[in-house]
Amino acid sequence: MIEFVIHGRGGRGGVTLAKLIAGAYYRRGLHVQAFGIYGAERTGAPVQAYVRVDEREIDVYGAIATPDHVIIVDPSLVSPAVAAGERSGGWIVINTGQPPETFAGVFPGRRVATVDANAIAVAHGLGTQAVPIVNTALLGAMARVLGMEIAAAEGALGDAGFGGANVAAARAAFAEVVTTEEPGEIAQPVLAEQHASMSFLDERVGARPSTHTGAWASRLPHSRELRPLCNDSCPAGNDVRGFVQAAAAGDDGRALAILLETSPFPGTCGRVCPAPCMDACNRRELDGAVDVRDIERALAECAAWPRPQRPSGGAPVAVVGAGPAGLSGAYHLARLGHPVTVIEAAPELGGLLRGGIPEYRLPRVVLEREIEFILDHGVEVRTGQPVDRAGLRRVAREYSAVLVATGQQSLRALDVPGAMAGVVEQGLEFLAHTHAAAEDLSGAAVVIVGGGNTAVDAARTAVRLGARDVRVVYRRTRAEMPAIAEEVDEALAEGVVIEELLSPAGLCVRDGRTSLVCRRMVLGEPDESGRPCPTGVDGDEALVEVSCDRLLLAVGQDGDLSLFPPPVAPVAPFRGPMSVGGASAAVYVCGDLAGGEGTVSAAIGSGRHAALAIHAALAGAEGDREAGSLAAERPRPAGPIAERPEDAPLAGPETVHLRAFPRIPPEPVSLAAPRLRRRDFAEVRRGFAQRSGHDPLTAEASRCFSCGACTGCDLCVI
Amino acid sequence: MLAAAGEANRVARGCCSGVYPITPQTEIMESLTAYPFTKGAVVTVESEHSAMGVCIGASIAGARAYTASAANGLLYMTENVFAAGYYRLPIVLVAANRTIGPPWNIWVDQGDSLALRDAAMLQFYCESHQDLVDTILVAFRVAEDPRVLLPALVAQDGFVLSHALMDVDLPDQTQVDAFLPPLDLPHRIRRDHPRIYGGLTWPRDTQRQREDIEHAMQAVPHVMEGVLDEFETVFGRRPAGAFPAACTDDADLVIVACNTMARTAMHVVEARRARGERVGLVRAKLFRPFLRDELVRALGSARRVAVLDRNHSPGSGGIFWAEVVASLAGRSDVLVQDYIVGLGGTDVPHAVIDAIVDDLAARECAGPPVFFEEGG
Repeated sequence: MIEFVIHGRGGRGGVTLAKLIAGAYYRRGLHVQAFGIYGAERTGAPVQAYVRVDEREIDVYGAIATPDHVIIVDPSLVSPAVAAGERSGGWIVINTGQPPETFAGVFPGRRVATVDANAIAVAHGLGTQAVPIVNTALLGAMARVLGMEIAAAEGALGDAGFGGANVAAARAAFAEVVTTEEPGEIAQPVLAEQHASMSFLDERVGARPSTHTGAWASRLPHSRELRPLCNDSCPAGNDVRGFVQAAAAGDDGRALAILLETSPFPGTCGRVCPAPCMDACNRRELDGAVDVRDIERALAECAAWPRPQRPSGGAPVAVVGAGPAGLSGAYHLARLGHPVTVIEAAPELGGLLRGGIPEYRLPRVVLEREIEFILDHGVEVRTGQPVDRAGLRRVAREYSAVLVATGQQSLRALDVPGAMAGVVEQGLEFLAHTHAAAEDLSGAAVVIVGGGNTAVDAARTAVRLGARDVRVVYRRTRAEMPAIAEEVDEALAEGVVIEELLSPAGLCVRDGRTSLVCRRMVLGEPDESGRPCPTGVDGDEALVEVSCDRLLLAVGQDGDLSLFPPPVAPVAPFRGPMSVGGASAAVYVCGDLAGGEGTVSAAIGSGRHAALAIHAALAGAEGDREAGSLAAERPRPAGPIAERPEDAPLAGPETVHLRAFPRIPPEPVSLAAPRLRRRDFAEVRRGFAQRSGHDPLTAEASRCFSCGACTGCDLCVI
Repeated sequence: MLAAAGEANRVARGCCSGVYPITPQTEIMESLTAYPFTKGAVVTVESEHSAMGVCIGASIAGARAYTASAANGLLYMTENVFAAGYYRLPIVLVAANRTIGPPWNIWVDQGDSLALRDAAMLQFYCESHQDLVDTILVAFRVAEDPRVLLPALVAQDGFVLSHALMDVDLPDQTQVDAFLPPLDLPHRIRRDHPRIYGGLTWPRDTQRQREDIEHAMQAVPHVMEGVLDEFETVFGRRPAGAFPAACTDDADLVIVACNTMARTAMHVVEARRARGERVGLVRAKLFRPFLRDELVRALGSARRVAVLDRNHSPGSGGIFWAEVVASLAGRSDVLVQDYIVGLGGTDVPHAVIDAIVDDLAARECAGPPVFFEEGG
């Protein structure tokens, strides 16, 4: 009887090789037996296959301990143990590119042959570079060393249904196999690591080494996170998924800390942000977006705010303008260790947050707390100090860098005949002074021109001041209004009327009554803003009069570029740095002045980016790294996350199996009744509705799918 | 070679098979599902329980039915295996013997099929591929005989046989058709003669039904003798009967073993005989029914009997050993010792069986079952 043992790895064809060798002998009229020892049945596990050949019927079963011939499919399995027993004249055939002499010392008394079956298999397109299928090549090599004709191997291949490249590989190996009959003491090859036998119950092991298979041989799980749509859409750069998941885990403190890494205004954004993250939320399709805005608001209210850190060592930086962009820039610069001085023209900090957003949307106490938190980072403040062009030059000489965030102070006028003082007023100015001293509009008809948040805020403020009739005149339709949709809903509920498709054409006074004359509009093709372009209808019959006692303008505003010397005219998007009046300090611009999209969160993001750019310029490459760690990177989550590139693919709706989730409607939020809220400036939206024994914050945060987060389940590699 | 098991079913004009894969039986299912049946169907189902359910339905409808499983799959199938027996359906079930987990173990151990010993089902244990092919054909004939009408299990060693390639004489279709005519199940469902199967039966009727099954089991040796005669006529070779014996006529010591272990034991017997020792071998091929008289005859003059059990009934010992002891009840002149070997697929080489013979020869009296390993 001739006996063979084949040492291979699971899934690489060792058992097939055994059957092919048996087939070659079967064709010679001999009795054969071929079988494998099956173990963990995974790619890469060391496995053995056996062949017996005899002239009489074979009636022994079981493993072969002392084979005549040994075939080593994977050279990492070379060890003296594979050729146990005295079988002089037997062959050791090894799949390797090394010469047979390399292994002679390992197998004294044996004849060794080597063949680079991997290279042959790859050359013939069998398997892959990483996992070549070498069995048919090794069959050719075996035929050669066993003294068979190549036809015997070809016949066995044909019987088993192999042809083409497999036959060619067998022929190549038949020709290329290198043999030695004179073993000697040459180089010692690297021996395979020998594992001691261990019990499957061995606590140190957990599982037998033989079950550490697939991954171990050729593959490792390579997990990476996808970028959630909410994070991608946040203009402030918040890690939305991160803070919502922390809140879902009940760790409100960590959730707030995640927010504060990118924004010092969670209480503000939790009230006034249009929340593009909620528009992007994958849950929207199932049962409504996760209420990220109210989660952020609740965190700002409930979680413990951290003690501000005051690192030092940076260079002095001035921030001109204390709106959301300037304050965000000051906050991040202070956190990066730079002494910051904020210079503000108004007597108080906050910019549009204070003057442009009514108190019923953003209570002053919330704003004050967040400004105070920023200042607690060591930010110096100079209020009541307007900065003009000469002033900016002085500041630039005084500081190492200047961040200009003066916003858009030039309010667009209404270019209509008959506009007169006393009746016509800018909406933003109206909002600013109504905060300071409430005005009585009892019985008045108030008309607001515009479609943005300022228009809606002015209208709702007029309602609260007692106006009898409040109308918003807008040249497009409600669908195109840039104002936050919920705010428009709330305005309508409070009695505001929206006059769509009207564009102001002039003012007329008749019988002591003032009217706004408007031209009716139709919507045409989309303009550069992507919205349908309104065009006027010709003829006098298309003119409509809207009577008004007060006319408020909210048609937009522009940046005041007089700060900058010509020809330096900042155009959007503009960030800097630039040099002013020969001063050494670089001047940066952020916020609406730099062409922001006009939301608080965009201003916050803009301020942070400018702060990081300034820090990088002041601190050099080292600063880049620190800035990077402050800006975007948090410690990697534990687990098998191999990489987490910022440019990872987005976790779009196709990555979420909606059917795996039960429908859970969003947590209800509490709203003041429209009739009540017409009376005063008390906050309209009150956050999550509270009921005893229920934690709405955790409940709502738990609705988050955590899109794109890798849980290390490894299902993707199975 | 599992393909051989599948092939044997095909040449027997197996008409319907419900199958569910489990290592090391999977290749049987693969070869069945790949075969283009002209008359019949392979129904792939979601579990072994349903696989046997399909076979029961097919068989009651009059089709020849066949399935295969192993280990925990057999356990899951068990309820319907009992049902097949009590419905008196001649379904053939091939078991690729595999250790029951946990711990998870895919290697050979006869504990899975022996756990079905109290089902009303014949059980054959095969020593080689040829034995397996021939026994599947014999099993269909015996099971379908009107005097028997019981399902039959045909066991082979998982991996040792199931995943080994060897040369085998596979009979051709015309021979098989001559040996195995289409099934004619007397109690099959007929449109013109509606019946209810398996409804409530009173206690006494149930006891009689069990008694009928016992009579059917007792008919097996006579029926099998005739089937083997006919097999020899058609195929020109005679498969082994219940207890094929070797060198037992004058033996003092006899080894009782089944499956491929018996092949290895034969080498030990030959080696001992060459040294003049009077050692013999009885292979336990038919486990159900267990033909006690035939076993006693096969043991011949033996005064010492070593039973090799690749199975373990906790609290009792080897399952074959218990049967042998029961067969030799009242024979105080025979020393029967149980050796539990090869559990979980542990190899049982020549040296182990050799050591067992030495151990038994040195014993003064029988002891409790011994878990025997290489090196003592």
